Amino acid sequence: MSEKEEEPQTGEASEPKTPDVAAEETNPNPDPPTTEPSSANNETPVASDKEKKIEVLLKATGDAPIMTKKKWTVPPDKTLGWISEFIKKFIKMGPEERLFLYINQTFAPAPDQTVKNIYDCYGTDGKLIIHYCKSQAWG
Amino acid sequence: MANDREVLREIWEGKVPVCFQLDPEEVYDLQAPDPFYLMVPRLSYFPLCTDKVRKHFMRHVQQEGQDKPENEMWLEFNGIPLKWHIPIGALLDLYHNDIQLPWNIVVHFRKFPEDVLMRCNNKEIVESHFLSCIKEADVLKHRGQLVSNMQKKDHNQLWLGLLNDKFDQFWAVNRKLMEATSDEGFKYIPFRCYISEDKYIQRLVKPLLEDGHRKTLKHLLNELFPNEETASVRTHGIIPSLDAPLQWLSEHLSYPDNFLHLILIT
Repeated sequence: MSEKEEEPQTGEASEPKTPDVAAEETNPNPDPPTTEPSSANNETPVASDKEKKIEVLLKATGDAPIMTKKKWTVPPDKTLGWISEFIKKFIKMGPEERLFLYINQTFAPAPDQTVKNIYDCYGTDGKLIIHYCKSQAWG
Repeated sequence: MANDREVLREIWEGKVPVCFQLDPEEVYDLQAPDPFYLMVPRLSYFPLCTDKVRKHFMRHVQQEGQDKPENEMWLEFNGIPLKWHIPIGALLDLYHNDIQLPWNIVVHFRKFPEDVLMRCNNKEIVESHFLSCIKEADVLKHRGQLVSNMQKKDHNQLWLGLLNDKFDQFWAVNRKLMEATSDEGFKYIPFRCYISEDKYIQRLVKPLLEDGHRKTLKHLLNELFPNEETASVRTHGIIPSLDAPLQWLSEHLSYPDNFLHLILIT
């Protein structure tokens, strides 16, 4: 996963704030954790050139902490399970805690589903929006 | 749809004989337990029909720490861990070339392959996966409107119909989900086309061509694999005609999760 750009601060104002502020203050590190699942470094040049990375926007919902960076680009063959592990590490969740991902604010994709499949079906305006939360939000 | 109800029934009743055997390295008794034979429904998921298998083999493995979550039962075929969240029939089609019936499956209680399999220590996990697939399929078919207007008891009925192998109970609700909202059919056809056991393709494919004619399986395969002239697929143990209309296939050959699970043959 590589950093796309800093989310404009004005954009944050519209987000639900209450529980997240505290979480962000205790967790101000804007850089990806060094233990994040590695991506580009592991790819062979052929594989990374073959298909364009996909822009992903990660949005917190419910009581999940907001990520200091929300926009990322992800190799298309990565799975939703990989994204879930990445978010968990970024917001410092324990391995035993569960994180739920939602597409279209409707359904939870299978962890082995690829970012490409989900983007091809549910991407909008050139990016894929994924909501994450720590409890089941949309069933 | 009514006239093709027999197709739905035939598909629902598909079963496969499986011979479960405990991994010899995990046998803790002096004597290895007998294999366990079972007819399993193609449309179901392994965790929904292997309670008896677990009970049969539990007595023969190391008792210590048996209830620990890391000692969850998992299944393997030919050295490959079987993904419980793929319907049994789709797994069968995936490994078609290597399988002889009865299907020989190895049962494990140790060394759960975390990197390959999702944990599944209770049936609620299967239920939420199953209902999530139905919701996703409805987003594709009807922009998600039908499933979100359904009541909790309808969702329960779909789940219990699958869990208890009750065709009428399941279809009483599923029939609404399989109704085309217009003459054109579904908005998109929910399908997954497997290239291998860990790779499948899912795209937005409409049931109609630009000129209003019905798309067939051949159109779908041309869209997915423009360079594969001789591609076909296997599903429910058969190779459907490439002239079969997509809308018909979706209504009649979808799994209970409302997706077509098609295995590519080239």
